[in-house]
Amino acid sequence: MGGARSVAFADLGCKLNQFETESIATQLQEKGYRIIEFDAPADAYVVNTCTVTNRADRKSRNLFNRARRATQAAQAAAELSAEPAAGTPLVVLTGCFVNSHRDELESDGRTYIIANEQKHSIPALVDAHFRGEVVHPAGNVFDFPVAKRIFHTRTTVKVQDGCDNFCSFCIIPSVRGRAVSRSSRDVVAAVAEAVTAGAREIVLTGVNMSRYRDGGVDFTGLVEACLELPGQSSGHPGERDYRLRISSLEPDGLADRFIRLFEHPRMAPHLHLCLQSGSQRMLLAMRRQYTYEEYRRLAADLRSIDPTFNITTDLLVGFPSEEDDDFAASLAAIDEIGFGHVHTFPYSPREGTRAERMRGQVPSRVKTERSAAVRTAADAAKRRYRESLLGSRERLLVERAERRDGTLVLTGLGEHYVPISVRLPARVGEHARASADPPPRYENTFLEARIESLGEGDDPVLHGSPG
Amino acid sequence: MARTTRVTKALPRVHEIRNLTESTYVLRFDRRDLEFEPGQYVSVGVKGDIDMREYSIYSPVDADFLEILVKEIDGGHVSRRLRRVRPGDEVEVDGPFGFFTIDEPDRRRPLLFIATGTGISPFHCFAGSYSDLDFRLLHGVRTAGERYDHDAFPSDRLTTCLSRDPQGVAAAAHVARAEPVADGRAAVGSADSSAVAGRVTDYLREHPVDPGTRCYLCGNCDMIYEAFDILKGHGVAPEHLYAEVYF
Repeated sequence: MGGARSVAFADLGCKLNQFETESIATQLQEKGYRIIEFDAPADAYVVNTCTVTNRADRKSRNLFNRARRATQAAQAAAELSAEPAAGTPLVVLTGCFVNSHRDELESDGRTYIIANEQKHSIPALVDAHFRGEVVHPAGNVFDFPVAKRIFHTRTTVKVQDGCDNFCSFCIIPSVRGRAVSRSSRDVVAAVAEAVTAGAREIVLTGVNMSRYRDGGVDFTGLVEACLELPGQSSGHPGERDYRLRISSLEPDGLADRFIRLFEHPRMAPHLHLCLQSGSQRMLLAMRRQYTYEEYRRLAADLRSIDPTFNITTDLLVGFPSEEDDDFAASLAAIDEIGFGHVHTFPYSPREGTRAERMRGQVPSRVKTERSAAVRTAADAAKRRYRESLLGSRERLLVERAERRDGTLVLTGLGEHYVPISVRLPARVGEHARASADPPPRYENTFLEARIESLGEGDDPVLHGSPG
Repeated sequence: MARTTRVTKALPRVHEIRNLTESTYVLRFDRRDLEFEPGQYVSVGVKGDIDMREYSIYSPVDADFLEILVKEIDGGHVSRRLRRVRPGDEVEVDGPFGFFTIDEPDRRRPLLFIATGTGISPFHCFAGSYSDLDFRLLHGVRTAGERYDHDAFPSDRLTTCLSRDPQGVAAAAHVARAEPVADGRAAVGSADSSAVAGRVTDYLREHPVDPGTRCYLCGNCDMIYEAFDILKGHGVAPEHLYAEVYF
């Protein structure tokens, strides 16, 4: 039994990492551990790292060092007392940074270095550490139970891991391993479990889900099965069903059947489709598996189902040999596709990848300038996209309900994956405060909202009213 | 789709090295139980060396060995070391990888294969694995000496584009006779074996392709980029263009 020991978490990178962190936290919470902020003194720190860029490496190191410093004094005291290591503060470092830097990282009695393949065993390792026991990791990369909503309202289900695409810039196949698909039966069971437990939005995640295959079931078939589960009703207005969201997806291997999934009322009309470049020459050099024209057609097909379908993306700038024309094509793509959000990052060579050996490495100054230009264009595109939702209705999944200026304000994400804030009419807020009945719980419920205005800033919030 | 068996970091023994030119050779080694689809590649390196490189599988799918076509690169780490291995030595092999494969329905359609240099490798595998493909192969090389194992292809399905060897064209057994047929389009799979001067992209510009053709391209990035534009200009849909980039 973990008693009142506390565990702090930090994670970096992809949605898959976020899910795995949340699942580990859920398991430790169920063992009796308290989950606390990373800045607070904790008995154990779990750092789930990323290595996709140099910047991610630096952040991973920083978090690791912060956790080690936080435990240093307690560790020194424990060593002076000559007590066994059991019970001393603990740092667990895991994730892709571990897999790419194995040679320079060493485990000791209080610092555990856990590769991705054993990440699922962290709850057992932490618990065993504080019991003074040793466990031998067993299981596989899908042994992550459905996570409770500790850090996020949405519930994530892992369907796939690893990647065989070997894009020339990408280290992920080396650190996440070969593509492997979870059994469709297990995925559907996990989604059903989440729905039964009250999840209103389930996110399917993986490293390269478009290549999912379990026997005769491809990714489209898997999603179809996940859409046909019985919904749950708590009786709360609006809280009658669930919706399904797909996290990041590679835009290759997606047939018409996949597009038609988005005609289903439970499908969230949003996809994060990684474009990486608007230049066909760069896409070839990156060894991407699609052409820009195919991407554009995919976007058009999605928008034929929902004209406001939200397409978000990643853009890599400063890839070796990227010329001004190539970069201009990426900028043009931002406007042409009408992205709702662009995550841009400057290329940094990853050891062992093909692009590391390519000629024509782009100077840092140019990459910085191009990144800034992309951010400017992307911010403008995001604003235009969100303006297109003015006057429409969104189904808000409430993440937070808080009183502001005497009224209740509900915030969360709409089905298009846009931030929405709804101020309830004063009488509703008053009822919540004055009624003898328990106040209604709004978190994790759906609310139909009429979108009326758009806020300021680089991530502007849509404001609306119920109805 | 064929089921593939993953053989992570296997150590098959080398059978032989067959030199095709001063710098290009075919490396043959044990297949073990590796299953693959024609068009896929493996990652190969010298035993104990951390560096590995990707090579399309050259040998047919039903051979009991694996072959890769390797060009020794100036300053290249792996290609030079692989050439020094001897029969009986072990090499590290990982794979198969890749999606440069021909779906079953497309194997019944007219196909255009376009390669430069060692990019002919997956097409060598296709031709040896599928006996009844209706294909035409354009192979772009600098000199006639780089026509790697051309006798493995039916002579009436192959056109060699010689970019730096006009004498090679004259010396070829058949001089180019690949004029467009009556409707102005090249008759995919029916022209004579030929050698022509120029790059494959020059040839493509002058010889329209039927829009229904599935086009497979393997070679350097610049050739593929240029050929994409030309083929799209001929009416081939982007989704019918398949590329494997060699670096």
